[in-house]
Amino acid sequence: MIRINDLRHRGLEIPELTLDARHIAVIGPNGSGKTRLLEVCSGIEEPGTGTIRILGRSPSSLRVGWVGEFPDRTLLFSRVYDEVASTPRFRHQPCPETERMVMAAARMVGIGDLLERRVASLSGGEKVLVALAAACAGEPEVLVLDEADSHLDAVTAKRLRQVVQESPAAHVLWCTQSMDTAAMADCVIFMEGGRVRYSGTPEEVFEILKETCYYPAIWRLRS
Amino acid sequence: MRVELGEVVFGRDGFCLRGSGTFGEGVHLVSGPVGSGKSTLALLLAGLLTPDRGTVRRQDVKSVLLLLQFPEHQVTAPTVAREAASWGLAPDEVLALAELEERADDDPFHLSRGELKRLTLACAFIKCPDLLLLDEPFSSLDCETKRWVCGMIEERGSGTTIIFSHEQSVLPRVDTIWEMEDGALIGRGSVPGAISSWRHAPAYLTYALERGAQPENIRLSDAREALCRIRD
Repeated sequence: MIRINDLRHRGLEIPELTLDARHIAVIGPNGSGKTRLLEVCSGIEEPGTGTIRILGRSPSSLRVGWVGEFPDRTLLFSRVYDEVASTPRFRHQPCPETERMVMAAARMVGIGDLLERRVASLSGGEKVLVALAAACAGEPEVLVLDEADSHLDAVTAKRLRQVVQESPAAHVLWCTQSMDTAAMADCVIFMEGGRVRYSGTPEEVFEILKETCYYPAIWRLRS
Repeated sequence: MRVELGEVVFGRDGFCLRGSGTFGEGVHLVSGPVGSGKSTLALLLAGLLTPDRGTVRRQDVKSVLLLLQFPEHQVTAPTVAREAASWGLAPDEVLALAELEERADDDPFHLSRGELKRLTLACAFIKCPDLLLLDEPFSSLDCETKRWVCGMIEERGSGTTIIFSHEQSVLPRVDTIWEMEDGALIGRGSVPGAISSWRHAPAYLTYALERGAQPENIRLSDAREALCRIRD
């Protein structure tokens, strides 16, 4: 359960929002506050005013896995293995446990063959998968994806969706510009001007957005 | 005006790109999975990489511009207006096209990801080079801005535009489709004939083709139009 009350933070204004769903898609125009919402829900930023409770706790007390859109800004190490291992290492996990977590995350994301590669030699999409593996290596309670699918082809995006689906995280917050991906969530919230304009099931929210380009392409053809 | 790849071979870090083909005037779409070599091909066509073997020949191409996948890699100035000026352009014109007039004095890195992409795209469209290479121009953008980009691409009256993209929902009208598969460049040919053999076609096109529709181009509106004709 995610509960937001009286939130005001750097352009965000959310008086009250309760989300009782595991996979939540966050959609809306560029600059509508989607990333800002993800940042306060993941504990990266403390809200100016208001409260956010996820699983009954404050976001900063949760294990959060974050996958951003621009992995070049967040990848720290030059070898893929070290990048994925950074999460357990920063938590002072012993070496055998770190090794186990790295291998499990690499297997889950399907990047076992990349572990010895230099990060600089990877394509943009491969870097996103490495960032996802690093997030999963922390066994997150909340998995946050900030337009992580922006640079992925259809096949890799499908793999990303599978990993997210199989992840044991209690909540997935996924900001995306792919409405076909958002349509697969349990809940969709549409943001505009720092506010949550609509929230509900994909069917409910996309019905409201039917006359806009935010309606899923494949739904458009079937209708 | 054209760019010719003659039996190009380029290898790096265990990856090998191979390809031959001619990119003439018009709009070309190069699609393919992550890591298949699209960005490497863009760098080769721009002359920023030199092939190990083979040739990249540009004929009657007087200006070349490559827009990088990650717009922050293109930023060189401390303000939005000075960034536009660094392209040799009048900032007012760029900021008006990008709808960033209010952000002239801001640090480019304080723009949202979509705004920064819009800035570099506006610069590229106003520069209007003979050869415009767009590496993932739609990533980071909301659907309204993707439509704007499509409009700008379609409005380019002349020159060669090559789009490297795996966009799956908002695409412009294109003339030719190419695909990268495991480092190999494969020409699918001219649209609409190329659509049926396009392996990485968006789901909406595949959906239309499976129902016997024959879209005239690759846009969602073309798929809808073709399906509509079947229903009639």
